[in-house]
Amino acid sequence: MKQTLLSATLDNGVVLLGESLPGLESVAVAFHAPAGAVHDGPGRCGLATLSGEMMLRGAGRRSSREIVEALEGAGVQWSQSVSASHVSFAGAMVARQLPEALPIYADILRRPRLAADELENARQMVLQNLAGTEDDPAHRTLSALRQLHYPSPWGMPSEGISAEVEPLDLQAVRSFVAAHVRPGGAIIAIAGRIDWDDFVHRVAALFGDWEPGAPPPVRPGTRGPRVRHVPHDSQQTHMALAWSAPPYRSDESYEATAGLAILGGGTSARLFTEVRERRGLCYSVSAGYQTLRDHAAAVCHAGTTAARAQETLDVILAEIGRLPGTITAEELDRVKARAKSGLVMQQESSAARAGALARQWYHLGGVRTLAEELDRYDRLTVGSIEAWLAANPVRDLSVVSLGREPLEVPHALSA
Amino acid sequence: MRFRHERLDNGLDVIAEVTDGAVSTSVGFFVKTGSRDETDALWGASHFLEHMVFKGTADLSGDEINRRFDWMGAAANAFTSEEDTVYHAAVLPEQQQEAVSLLARMMRPALRTEDFDTEKLVILEEIRMYDDQPPFGADDRCRAAFFAGHPLARSVLGTIDSITALDVDAMRDYHDRRYAPGNIVLAATGAVDFAGLVEAARRQCGDWEPRENPPRTGAPLPRPPDGRSSVATITRPSATLEYAVRMTAGPDGTEDDRFPAKLLAMILGDDSGSRLYWALVDSGAAEHASLHHHDFLDAGLFATQLSCDAADVEGLLARIADLYSGVARGGVAAAELEQARNKLAGRVVLAGERPRRRLFGVGLEWAHGDRYRSVADDLAIVEGIGLDDVHRVLDRWPLHGPAATVLAGPHPATSPGHFL
Repeated sequence: MKQTLLSATLDNGVVLLGESLPGLESVAVAFHAPAGAVHDGPGRCGLATLSGEMMLRGAGRRSSREIVEALEGAGVQWSQSVSASHVSFAGAMVARQLPEALPIYADILRRPRLAADELENARQMVLQNLAGTEDDPAHRTLSALRQLHYPSPWGMPSEGISAEVEPLDLQAVRSFVAAHVRPGGAIIAIAGRIDWDDFVHRVAALFGDWEPGAPPPVRPGTRGPRVRHVPHDSQQTHMALAWSAPPYRSDESYEATAGLAILGGGTSARLFTEVRERRGLCYSVSAGYQTLRDHAAAVCHAGTTAARAQETLDVILAEIGRLPGTITAEELDRVKARAKSGLVMQQESSAARAGALARQWYHLGGVRTLAEELDRYDRLTVGSIEAWLAANPVRDLSVVSLGREPLEVPHALSA
Repeated sequence: MRFRHERLDNGLDVIAEVTDGAVSTSVGFFVKTGSRDETDALWGASHFLEHMVFKGTADLSGDEINRRFDWMGAAANAFTSEEDTVYHAAVLPEQQQEAVSLLARMMRPALRTEDFDTEKLVILEEIRMYDDQPPFGADDRCRAAFFAGHPLARSVLGTIDSITALDVDAMRDYHDRRYAPGNIVLAATGAVDFAGLVEAARRQCGDWEPRENPPRTGAPLPRPPDGRSSVATITRPSATLEYAVRMTAGPDGTEDDRFPAKLLAMILGDDSGSRLYWALVDSGAAEHASLHHHDFLDAGLFATQLSCDAADVEGLLARIADLYSGVARGGVAAAELEQARNKLAGRVVLAGERPRRRLFGVGLEWAHGDRYRSVADDLAIVEGIGLDDVHRVLDRWPLHGPAATVLAGPHPATSPGHFL
């Protein structure tokens, strides 16, 4: 498949990435600024999320409402999010609307009003969202797991902590935006029906005079305890496990990803087969690979009736233990087939491609072509995965249970 | 895009929307059966059967089915609703025949007693999982109240009791009746080889015995507008927020008014930029406030969903009722309509680019009435909706009229009810 990948860098450091997908009518653009939750600072968990919300509430000549009306009036499907590393604003639209949408995003990133009369509304919205996550057992379980597994602040909940969001003031938001929403580390990615030269010209006009600067580096702190139970009044007990994996930029991340897919990636994977199909222990059980830039994790998650939760955990642990030395060529073939068709089908979504370009740049400082990625999957062998598993035995496991009763975790695994 | 249709001698419909140059092919079997086609003794059988279809045929084990889908690199899954059971797979074009053949074979499952007993445990876990999640059953309970006495009142998953009591022979009989060729549509979108699709259908499905398909609609529909409003509660003392679902009548799946109804719901209650959003969500008064229109074969409804602090739920429901009364009096503005039309048109174009998204629209339209609409047809409909259409819907289906409401959560200190 022919692929057209493009990139450019403005003098102030903003990176522009593009991919032409000529079969599409749409274009998707994603703006990432290095103002993620790892920069919240001690006792201010949620500052990035509150700041990202405030950036949308009035920018340049438009009020909060005028921004939304302008985007939606142009048929833009817009979104805003805050991850550990970035605040992101994205939009997907019919290609002809792009010239109308770009200046709105430039205002949001460069000229947010951060007005006093929006602060309480924005704070209440963040607090409402936090209250909602309290009622979601899977979200709470996985959020607690991240706090155990990753060193602080990388595992802190990007959506915030209520008690720390409540006292944040306008000055904190303004300082945060001024220090972190900067061109150094910013990425603007576009995919779909694009005119690259026109896009670069427009972006340079909108962002070229953005004063250079980059946020300060983040120093990793300590990790939480290895095992935690979260009391929750639910019929099901949720359990989640994590152990270390190589980050995406490491070449071995492909071996890790494939090994985890064999364990828990598809409906023919071992966990689905043994836990659900064979024993009927739960509705959903999976294992997969998660990555930040410098830290990554293998993560398993399942939820089941309290009475069968210990058995479920025991079966999951047994399958994790059984993985090394038992991988078959047929299993690897299936993992390769799933990965390849997933990569190829991504070409149908301008939004998925814009997101993938930006993610790759953040992790790798470059973008891999589809051919390079497919080739890397082709080069996976049973031997290379087994070698990785042998060199990286599962240890130092983080385990979270959520429900009425805690689970027993074998001491040897969590020590 | 080209539309193709062929009907096999036994009644199975084969349809495709062919997009030259598409990267992938999506295929699906759309079985015209769901919870509305069950009896009390079969409550939950459609969805349970959907799981059993993945447990194997006479000569294919469930494990083998799972392995084959993964080996094809398929994104395969299934879902069951009140009216449909859909099995679908998205694959690279060279895997089309493999995917169609496997799905076709699965439509004649073995329904082994041993698999039935194990899968029953999985279904019970699925019921408990949803019961632990917002809105804690308020949606099912509200639909039960809204459709009381009608087949659409039954929830898709069934209950712990109905699933526990379900018998494998009853499921086998249900399958024999409902999975007849005249009751199934095979649909495909994307880079489709239509001749290959029809050939695979003939080979795999040509010997399926036709059955008589009794009419699915006709039960008299209880309309809350003719009756009274109702309020019910589900108590979850440990929930952080209160969840409310409120249903009023709307146009059904045969009426042209269903299109302006969807646009009206977008103006009033889309997740962003709508009247409910600016009134309740933007200020952080509510975690969520939305309005959606759902249509069925012979019924339709508007569903309002709200989540907020329990102490605020009565006040906010009253504000929503005021907002609906206000729009009934004052109508919507031309600028609001224009924004919603552009928003909807954008969504139609973006969804239309992905064969796996298109599959559901194309397959369900045909399953519900032998209809096909291209993306261009959909855009023309959106473009053609005027203020008079939206105002007619408001008039015919008053949002501030009698409603079924269910609250789930810790509840306010005072008893709910007076605000309706």
